[in-house]
Amino acid sequence: MRVTEHPILGTYQKGRKVQFTFDGKSMEGYEGEPIAAALRAAGVTTHRYTTKKHEPRGIFCAIGRCTDCVMIVDGRPNIRTCITPLREGMRIQTQYGIEAKEI
Amino acid sequence: MVRYDLIIVGAGPAGLSAAIIAAKQGVRTAVFDENERPGGQLFKQIHKFFGSREHRAKVRGFRIGEQLLEEARECGVEVHLNATVMGLYDKKEVLVMADGETHHFKADAIILATGARENFIPFAGWTLPGVMGAGAAQTMVNLHGVQPGSRVLMVGTGNVGLVVSYQLMQAGIQVEALIDAAPRVGGYGVHAAKLARLGVPFYLSHTIVKAEGTDKVTGAVIAQVDEKFQPIPGTEKHFDVDTICMAVGLSPMSELPAMAGCQMEDKGGAVPKVDACGETSIPGIFAAGDAAGIEEASSAMITGQIAGIAAARRLGYVDEEMFEAETDRLRASLQKLHEGMFSPQNRGRNDFTETDEGYPISQSLLHKGYMEDQEITRYPGAVSGKSGVHPVIECSQNIPCDPCQDACKFGCIRVGDEITRLPCVNEEAKCTGCGLCVASCSGQAIFLVDETYDEEHAAVTLPYEFLPYPQAGDKGVALGRDGREVCEAEVVSLKINKAMDQTALLTIKVPREMAMTARFFKKKEA
Ligand SMILES: Cc1cc2nc3c(=O)[nH]c(=O)nc-3n(C[C@H](O)[C@H](O)[C@H](O)COP(=O)(O)OP(=O)(O)OC[C@H]3O[C@@H](n4cnc5c(N)ncnc54)[C@H](O)[C@@H]3O)c2cc1C
Ligand code: SF4
Ligand code: SF4
Ligand code: FES
Repeated sequence: MRVTEHPILGTYQKGRKVQFTFDGKSMEGYEGEPIAAALRAAGVTTHRYTTKKHEPRGIFCAIGRCTDCVMIVDGRPNIRTCITPLREGMRIQTQYGIEAKEI
Repeated sequence: MVRYDLIIVGAGPAGLSAAIIAAKQGVRTAVFDENERPGGQLFKQIHKFFGSREHRAKVRGFRIGEQLLEEARECGVEVHLNATVMGLYDKKEVLVMADGETHHFKADAIILATGARENFIPFAGWTLPGVMGAGAAQTMVNLHGVQPGSRVLMVGTGNVGLVVSYQLMQAGIQVEALIDAAPRVGGYGVHAAKLARLGVPFYLSHTIVKAEGTDKVTGAVIAQVDEKFQPIPGTEKHFDVDTICMAVGLSPMSELPAMAGCQMEDKGGAVPKVDACGETSIPGIFAAGDAAGIEEASSAMITGQIAGIAAARRLGYVDEEMFEAETDRLRASLQKLHEGMFSPQNRGRNDFTETDEGYPISQSLLHKGYMEDQEITRYPGAVSGKSGVHPVIECSQNIPCDPCQDACKFGCIRVGDEITRLPCVNEEAKCTGCGLCVASCSGQAIFLVDETYDEEHAAVTLPYEFLPYPQAGDKGVALGRDGREVCEAEVVSLKINKAMDQTALLTIKVPREMAMTARFFKKKEA
């Protein structure tokens, strides 16, 4: 859920509303915010599954240090979604190991 | 290869402060930071800072961030963003990754102000989505305006755990409990008390046993620990939470000095060995802020300035006399923050039973997060049974802080020059009820009490930082320091102006005998 009004920060400065897809589903977020923030606001918590044990991973550090949040963005794997800004029309996919599809 | 006089790695409070003081002396300075925005951790710190006026006390962290950026711009510091420093070599050459390419830069002096990373403790299920660092949750809500979850268990009661828990509540997230394996709250009592009066329980001597859930966190189990920190079977408790935050300490980011060959030592994590100016074993390479040893933002700004002025001297931009004067001033300022029971040399100690002045320390505060009603007037900041409005200061530990003393223009509050002393109320001075002390207190520990408000009621004014604001005439209940409902209450007024910087003053009236008990207000659901 998004925080719309904050007692200290007031309203958050956000870019324009943009569309993107997550595993083919159309979603909305704000341009320039981290992909991970847009996904979390849209209810997505699992970003990837680990190679060997197929365990789910999501946001862990939120500042680009741990690589738990990496996904496939516009076809490129291993993108740290917590520090990569969202752009109009981005194609975001859950990452399985280093692939887009579960094998 | 581009050359600068001084290269600073990290644009947090330490790096920016170093850059500003050096650039003011004419040093050609560049700062590199891996983020899209400068400021390091400052822009997620929305609370009012402790310290004294010279440490920018009572100013919120993100506003200090804005001030530093403005000053850096004015004195011509070049800040390179989205630029990760990948390598540092002993000839003071840095390798920077930006736009997917590597670039080389060289300088005559380097300051490492790379900050810290969060520590984690492993437990069953700790890799599930929904388990995250407290700093991660803080980043999500305060920077991006997105709730990481709706119900949170906080692991760790140091200042980061306490501060972040409160900030999550401010963003509409329910913190179900704070737990700590230690037997006492680790952070400032005033921070704990803010949470306790909202009704958030503390479980000391408890550890997390497991996170439940298959795809994401759906619950958490905690258990009491014995003296060896082992869970005691049969003491398990379950919480319905979707998020587990860990605030179990920070470790310095020290890869770069190690790579350059600086001598390292262990100070709660590996840090480069530094002298009094932050200079490492390699002349001209300095470390400042958390990268040189974990503290907090106020001291990071000072150690940053010390390294900045020392680098400027090494480069020949300041003479010996000025260097001495500046470093004396800065060290004195740092020393003020380093006094008292929470000072770096007392880290890990939580066995204090008395304040510096000899007042007993509330065991209830250390174990439950709040003081008992009858303990309040033990301290020099609180009197009861007076007529008319007067301040009641519930600040009972030696923390480095004195905005309350500055706030009162009528001489009602005194801390003294040693800012870790407890604030005292001067009963001779007349309180006008202006409320500036309430809004200025970084710990939200000051209340105004008027036990003679009318025939039957007392009025209590408390700091209020939640939305929606209650309105005059609203009816509800007053909560005690422990967060329990203690009596009916009605809102008399809510005041907020620019000087209060988003801390509203909420005045409620309660039955007179509740004057020293009622400390928060909850509106009745319509
Ligand atoms: C997530 C988090 C949350 C915190 N929240 C609080 C809080 O609420 N209250 C409180 O009192 N303290 C908090 N702290 C403690 C914090 O350590 C200090 O408040 C303060 O920010 C330290 O300042 P600094 O300048 O040393 O480091 P930072 O503010 O961390 O700044 C260091 C900067 O250097 C950058 N950097 C690191 N390595 C490189 C590299 N190789 N190349 C380029 N850039 C690099 C980092 O991204 C960062 O921007 C928090 C710490 C963390 C890690
Ligand atoms: S309310 Fe005003 S006059 Fe009274 S103690 Fe606080 S600052 Fe001083
Ligand atoms: S009462 Fe004074 S010393 Fe204590 S937290 Fe508030 S401002 Fe700081
Ligand atoms: S959550 Fe750690 S890198 Fe993104």
